[in-house]
Amino acid sequence: MVLVSAVVALAGYGCSRTTQGSDRPDSLTIQNGGRIVSTYRSEPKSFNRYVKSTSADEVVSRLINATLVRVDRKTGKVEPRLARSWTASPDGLTWTFALEPDVTFADGTPFTSADVMFSFQALYDPKVHSDLAASLMIAGKPMTVRALDAHTVAIMFPSPYAPGISLLDSLPILPAHKLKRALEAGTFLDAWSVTAPLADITGLGPFVIREFIPGQRLVFARNPRFWIRDASGRPLPYLDEIELQFTPDQNTEVLRLEAGESDLMTDRVRFEDLAALRDLATKGRITLHDAGVSISPDALWFNLDPAAKSARDRPWLQREEFRHAIDLAVNRSKIVNTVFLGQAVEVAGPITPGHAEWFLPELPRPAFDPAQASKRLASIGLVDRNGDGFVEDDKGRMAKFSVMTIAGNSVRQRSFSLIQADLGKIGLKVEEAQLDGQSLFQRWDNGDYDAVYFAIESDAFDPGRNLEFWMSSGPYHLWYPKETTPSTPWEGRLDALMTQQSSTMDAAQRRQLFADAQRLLAEHAPALYFAAPKVTVASSARLQGISASVLMPPVFWNAEVLHVTGPRR
Amino acid sequence: MSTALARFIAWRLLVAGLFVLVVSSSAFILVRLAPGDASREVFQTGVSDASIAANRQRLGLDQSLPAHLAAWLGGVARLDLGNSSSDGRPVTGVVASHMAKTASLAALALVVAAALGLPLGILTGTRPDSLVTSIVTVISLALVCCPPIIGTLALAFLGASTGWISIAPGNYLWPTLALALPLAAMLERLQSQAAAEAFAAPDIAAAAARGVPVRRLVWRHASRQALRPVLGVAGVVVATLFSGSVAVETITAWPGLGQLMVQALHGRDLYLVAGCALAGATLIAVGNFCADLLRAAVDPRVRLIS
Repeated sequence: MVLVSAVVALAGYGCSRTTQGSDRPDSLTIQNGGRIVSTYRSEPKSFNRYVKSTSADEVVSRLINATLVRVDRKTGKVEPRLARSWTASPDGLTWTFALEPDVTFADGTPFTSADVMFSFQALYDPKVHSDLAASLMIAGKPMTVRALDAHTVAIMFPSPYAPGISLLDSLPILPAHKLKRALEAGTFLDAWSVTAPLADITGLGPFVIREFIPGQRLVFARNPRFWIRDASGRPLPYLDEIELQFTPDQNTEVLRLEAGESDLMTDRVRFEDLAALRDLATKGRITLHDAGVSISPDALWFNLDPAAKSARDRPWLQREEFRHAIDLAVNRSKIVNTVFLGQAVEVAGPITPGHAEWFLPELPRPAFDPAQASKRLASIGLVDRNGDGFVEDDKGRMAKFSVMTIAGNSVRQRSFSLIQADLGKIGLKVEEAQLDGQSLFQRWDNGDYDAVYFAIESDAFDPGRNLEFWMSSGPYHLWYPKETTPSTPWEGRLDALMTQQSSTMDAAQRRQLFADAQRLLAEHAPALYFAAPKVTVASSARLQGISASVLMPPVFWNAEVLHVTGPRR
Repeated sequence: MSTALARFIAWRLLVAGLFVLVVSSSAFILVRLAPGDASREVFQTGVSDASIAANRQRLGLDQSLPAHLAAWLGGVARLDLGNSSSDGRPVTGVVASHMAKTASLAALALVVAAALGLPLGILTGTRPDSLVTSIVTVISLALVCCPPIIGTLALAFLGASTGWISIAPGNYLWPTLALALPLAAMLERLQSQAAAEAFAAPDIAAAAARGVPVRRLVWRHASRQALRPVLGVAGVVVATLFSGSVAVETITAWPGLGQLMVQALHGRDLYLVAGCALAGATLIAVGNFCADLLRAAVDPRVRLIS
C-alpha cells in the first residue's frame, strides 16, 4: 500500500485534529463566540443533501455535515476530515481510510464506519434517486465500500480514477442511527424534510440547526461536539451562531450589508454594486474578498445534433466556419470593460485562470477581426446578396437564428446584447428568446433550439470530474448531449483524450492530455466563450476567517474558522 | 335585512366564488401548459429518466390536464391543495400562513393609507390655493407615478443611509410604508377631487350662507359626501394593494403571498402557484365584497342597480 496523504497535524489535545490548509487562522488572537447574520436569496428545500441539490441545500449541508475528506477551495488540495489518513493500493483502485476515533454526532452518538457504509448505501439506493449519486460514479459505475473495523473503511473504485478521493468532498456522511430505518421503510426522501422536527436532524458538522422559520430565517448554533480544534487547541467553530436571513432581492442584500444589518452576502457581489461597495471598503465598513476568476464562464453554443430541425433549412448553423466567424466577430475586450467593468478576463474556452494548473495560457484567443469574420461567412456562402446589410445563403434567405437566454440575469443579458450587436455588424440577424429556466432547459433537452447563451455551474477544478461536459456521451456535452457514438472524428478523439486523462495517475501526463483536449476544443469551437468574471464576496469588516472560493458555496465551506472581532455596527 | 340587500349579497358572493375558481384554475392550467416542469431541477446533472418519471408521477404530472385539474379541484373542496414540489410541505398550511402575513400587512397599509390620504385629500380639496396643497399634490403625484419596486428600494436606501427605518426582515414599518404611501397618494388625489366637488355643491353653499362654520362644513358635511366616490374605487384599492405586495414583499423579504408566488413560479411549483393564486383571489374577492357592502351601506342606489 502506498501512503498517499496523511498530513495530520495533531495538536496534542486528545484525538482532536487541528485545522488544515490555507484557512488556518492566527488562532491566538481570535475570540470565541459571537453571532453573524448572513443574507441568502433562497431557502433550502430539504435538510437532507442526498435529496435536494440547490445552492441553499449545499450551504446547509456544509454547515451541519462533515465529509471524509475536504478539498481546500484555495489550494485545491485534499485534506483530512472524518478520515484522518488514507492509503491507496498500487493500482489506485482500493482506498483504505482510517477514521477519526472518538468523534460523535451532534446528538452524542459515536461516529463509526457503519455511518460511512450507510451513507454509501443511501447514496446509491435506486429508490432515493439522489442527485449526488451521478457525481459520485466513476465511469458510470458506483464505488463499493467495506468496513474493515469500527474505524477503518475501504472504498473500491470500479476503474482507475485520476481525480482520486477528491470526489468524496461532496459526500456528507449521514447518521445511520437516525436515517437507516427511514431508508429501509422507503421514507428516506421525507425523513429530513424542512417540516421535520429539528431535534431529529443531527450531523458531524460544525453547526446544528437551531431554528427554521420558512420565508424568514434559518439559525445555526455551534455544535459543541465538533471534533476539530484550532492550532492552539481551542475547539472549533469559533462562532456561537449563524443566522441566514432569506432576502430574495439582491438590492436589499446590498443595502442590509451597507447599513450594518448583516455581516455577509452569501452569494457573489454583482458588478454594478462593486463601486459603491469599494467605497465602503475604503472607509473600513466592509471587506471585499477576491475569490479569483470564475470557473463557469458563459457559453454560446449551437445545436449540433445532426438531426436538429434548425439544421434542415440552415445547414450553415452547424458549420465550423460559422462558429469561427462568430469567435472573430465578438469584441471580448468590450464585454470585459463594459459589462464586467473590467472585473473579468478574456477567455477562449471553458477553462479559465480560475482552474489554476489546468488553465492553458498559451491557448490562442481569437483576435477581434470583423473583416476576417465576414470572410469566414463568405467561405460557407453567407454573403450580403441584396445590399440590405444582412448576409444571405445561396438561396437568398437571410442568415438569422435565435439564441435562448434566461430572463432576469442582467449581466448575461448585457453581454448578449453586445454579442448580438457585434454579430449584426457582420450581417447576422440574431434574435434573443428570453425564457425562464425550466422552459429553456426543456427546449435544450428536447433539442428544440438554434443556440443557447448560458453557463453551467462547475463544481470542481479537476476536469476529470467534469466528464459529463467533455465526453460525447455526457449529459452536459452542451452542443449534442448523450451521443451514442461520437458524431464527429474530433469528438471521438476528445473522448479518448479525456478517458485517458481521467484514468492516468501521472500528473504531468494528465496536464499534457488535458492541454491537447483544450486545443482540440478550441480548434473546433463547439461552444464559444468570451469572458470569465472575477468573483468577489462582501462581508462586514468584523467578520474574519473568510477564504472566498469560486466554487459554491463561496464562504461557508470553512465555516468553522469564521470569527468576529466585535459587535456589528 | 331587506330583500334587495339579501339579493345583492347573494349575487356578490356568487361572483366572488366564480372569480376565485377562474383565477386559481387558470393559474393551474397555465403552469401545467408552460414548457418544463418541476420534475427535475434546471440543469441538474446526472438524473436518470426513471428518476424523472418517478417525480412526474409523484407530482401528478403524468395525468391528463383535465384529470389533473379535476383532482386538484376535488382537493380544494376538501381544503387539500396538495404538497409543494420543491420541499414537500402541504400547500394549504404554507399558503394559509403566508396569506395571514399578506393580509396583516395589507390591512395595516390600508389603515395607514386611509389615515394619511383621506384627511390630506379633504384638506387639499377644500383649500386648492394653499402652499400645503401644492406641496402635497406634487408629492402625491410623484408617489402615484412611482412603481412599487422603485418606491420600496428608495425607502430601503433612506433606511440604510439614515437609520430612520429599519430594513431588517420582519420589521413592519418598511413594507407597510412601501405599500401605504402610493395608496395614500391615490386616496389623497381621489378624496381631493371629491371634496372639491362636494364643497362646491349647493347644499354646502347654502349651509355656508346660513353661517355654519367652515371647519364644520369641511369635516362633517363635505367629507361625508366626498366619501362615496372614494368607496366606489375601493375594489381597485384592494387589487392595487395585492398587486403591489408582490414587489414589496420580494424586496423587503416579507414572508407573504407575493413572495411565495414568485418563488413558486421560479420553481414551477404547480400546486403552490395554484394555491397562491387561489389565496390571492380569495383575499381580493373578500376585499371587494367588503367594499361593495360599504358602498351599498352608504349609497342605496348601488344595491338597487345591482
